[in-house]
Amino acid sequence: MLKIDHLTKRYGETLAVNDLDFEVKPGVVTGFLGPNGSGKSTTMRVIIGLDRPTSGRATIDGKTYDQLKAPLREVGALLDAKALDPSRSARNHLRALAMANRIPVKRVDEVLEFVGVASVAHKKVGGFSLGMSQRLGIAGALLGDPGILLFDEPVNGLDPEGIRWIRDFFRSLAKEGRTVFVSSHLMSEMAVSADQIIVIGRGKFITSGTVDDLTANATGTVFVRSADATRLAQVLGDAHGVIEPVNDNGLSVSGLTSDQVGDAAFAAGIAVHELTPQRASLEDVFMSLTADSLEYGHKNIETAP
Amino acid sequence: MSTSPTLVDTTRSEFLKFRTVRATFIGLATFIFLTIGLAVLITLVIKSNWSHRSVTDRLAFDPVATSLVGVFFAEFAVGVMGARFITSEYASGAIRTTLAAVPRRVHLVLSKVIVLLITFAILSEIVVFIAFVVGQMIYKSGHLPSASLSDSTVLRAVIMAGVYLTLLTLIGFGLGLILRTTSVTISVYVTLLLIIPIIVNFLPSSWQDHTTKYLPSNLGASMLSPTQSSNSFAWGTATIVLVIYTAVIIAAGTTLMTRRDA
Repeated sequence: MLKIDHLTKRYGETLAVNDLDFEVKPGVVTGFLGPNGSGKSTTMRVIIGLDRPTSGRATIDGKTYDQLKAPLREVGALLDAKALDPSRSARNHLRALAMANRIPVKRVDEVLEFVGVASVAHKKVGGFSLGMSQRLGIAGALLGDPGILLFDEPVNGLDPEGIRWIRDFFRSLAKEGRTVFVSSHLMSEMAVSADQIIVIGRGKFITSGTVDDLTANATGTVFVRSADATRLAQVLGDAHGVIEPVNDNGLSVSGLTSDQVGDAAFAAGIAVHELTPQRASLEDVFMSLTADSLEYGHKNIETAP
Repeated sequence: MSTSPTLVDTTRSEFLKFRTVRATFIGLATFIFLTIGLAVLITLVIKSNWSHRSVTDRLAFDPVATSLVGVFFAEFAVGVMGARFITSEYASGAIRTTLAAVPRRVHLVLSKVIVLLITFAILSEIVVFIAFVVGQMIYKSGHLPSASLSDSTVLRAVIMAGVYLTLLTLIGFGLGLILRTTSVTISVYVTLLLIIPIIVNFLPSSWQDHTTKYLPSNLGASMLSPTQSSNSFAWGTATIVLVIYTAVIIAAGTTLMTRRDA
């Protein structure tokens, strides 16, 4: 079990991670969602012991990463695909990692084959494209056949075929009972590839749940069309709706349910030609959630000692 | 995948990393070429103008030191190699992958030190012995005074030349641990070996008497001189002082590494 335990990380004046506290469960793909600079990478760096937490900790089955005897056999991480010596060959890069964790060398060839870079295994990694480096990084993460896998923005640099491959791959890893923790700033990606989502903004936990949970709790907008759109907009505005004109005589209303919009139009004697509730997309939810967190985050930093 | 990895495994891993980049072999070639090449060059020059030398010059002639003078050039090659063994990882970001595999930083430093210590102790001794032997052969061929390894002080001087190079490799590595950037590390290393001696040269001579002997290059000269000269340490003391420098620099670098974010 991967556990983030009241984790706070401060870089000088900047509060990168602010009291994050959650667990990542095995058997599902958990998405770690937040805008750029929200603390996702920092959290991952703390998990694998690269950065020291200011307070709190991240544990793997109760142990911090540097207490693991053979870390690559318990946690596989791909944080930065280009974080390797460009003048070493792909195979030698993996051999060195395998050796340090007592992983048999035949496993190196297995993972190279699996991610599809076996044909360039003897080439220097400096010449690899970002996509190839990502694949090599995935090979490195799989090397020790670990129960926990961390991927920071793994779809960056992959072509559409690669993105599909990696989604299926995450699912299959989770199906095998592993913990799969994937960060992304792309909602759309998380919506299709993650079962469980943890949303953070400005280093703070915002919400978590399944994609359905997140969208269900959010109020969507209502699309309404009327010949008398101008007057309807006034009426709905008085009812505390937020109105945005769409096309000639359509209105997009948020803050009111479709029932409330219909009733208000009826009460004012305005004929309505179309009335459609629009379900919030994960994207909308994310935008509204993180927009709040930005303000909240600002306030927090100012009041921080 | 059964037993836990030990220091042997991490050291083997670091040794694999050391020998799987071309820069290592370019560095080693430079080091060997400087030590042996300069021994050949300088002994040939001395041999060719021997007949023009005065009697006092001839009496002051040191066949051991002159054949080992390449050491004071090779020290830059080995220092850079030691430094790059860690700074190149910071430059490429590979240090993060390394630390993910070996999160205990003391283990990582220890493994790297063992790799450098073994590799450079063996190579340096081989290279300085070749430089010495080639130099003496050239002197003999010109009927100049030459030294023999059967003389224990000569043997000691040659062995110490190898020890000096090994320690300077580790000093380069230790500075790399502290400074993390290749260019800055090399600047500081060169300052220590070349610039500070020049500055010390401008100090009043009474100060110089107490300071110059502590400079790394003068410690090296003491280590590989068969006799002790005035205002310098005996070879044994010089070796101990240089070992202390090396240990302090590496300890400081390791402490910093365990405290800093990678």
